[in-house]
Amino acid sequence: MPVAWPDKEDNELLALVQDGSHPAFAALVERHTDRFYRLAFRYLQNPEAAEDVVQDAFLKLWEDPGKWQPDQNTKFTTWFYRVVVNLCLDWQKRKRPLQLNEDMPLIDERETAEQAMLRREEQRILEREIAALPERQRTALNLCFDAGVSNQVAADVMRINLKALQSLLMRAKATLKERMKSYL
Amino acid sequence: MDRNDDKKLDSLLHSRRSQAASPDLAARIIHKAQGLPQIQRFLLWHLLRQLFIELHLPKPGYVIASALVLGMFLGFSTAPQSFSTTNSDGVNTQSFLADDEGLL
Repeated sequence: MPVAWPDKEDNELLALVQDGSHPAFAALVERHTDRFYRLAFRYLQNPEAAEDVVQDAFLKLWEDPGKWQPDQNTKFTTWFYRVVVNLCLDWQKRKRPLQLNEDMPLIDERETAEQAMLRREEQRILEREIAALPERQRTALNLCFDAGVSNQVAADVMRINLKALQSLLMRAKATLKERMKSYL
Repeated sequence: MDRNDDKKLDSLLHSRRSQAASPDLAARIIHKAQGLPQIQRFLLWHLLRQLFIELHLPKPGYVIASALVLGMFLGFSTAPQSFSTTNSDGVNTQSFLADDEGLL
């Protein structure tokens, strides 16, 4: 789908959304749906739930665009990552624990059946262990290993400094390494 | 910590399952928003923004307007000192007027 108004910055589009512009909202949604979906999927490992969360986040923005305060010197994407992360955490608290979809396609389709099975098992264990991490460590990991989110952006999303983020990542990785010893 | 394990873990983390959103997700969100009303907020920021839009002036205009406002403010704030009257001033003025009336 072509992205409308490519010359307009997010802040300009948001100002129009605050004035009730549907085309500006559509442009924002088309521009950012994929990246926020990717993050939601990382959290929830469930395509329907991830779509619900992203839809919910955008509809909340549409209904109450005044929640976005342009004077806070924060990029829209940083603020919206925070919104999506909070909705994912709420969803996880409200709903059932992580359910992994066994039919999920694997990234490398050239693998043999045996390799694919081993890889699927590895990923299943990895997702289970990530889901068991403390909330902040999980958030740091999901943000930093999501393509396109730099450590600085991840730190901004979590409202912590870079050192604190790196410390969270280190602890998360140490825990995962310990728990996944047999797969490494 | 074993560096090899670190690398393997990083590689595992980078290869986590990823899935693209449904192609119609954005369209569905846009469609749903069309049926939803917006909450109207009367924030100070919005009011100021509207005011600036209504009274849009080129930049030199803002400078002149600010200088005028500042000048008026300084003028009013110093006025009571420069125009203060004392009893002796009052007497002098009255005697001056009395002299004029005498001529008439």
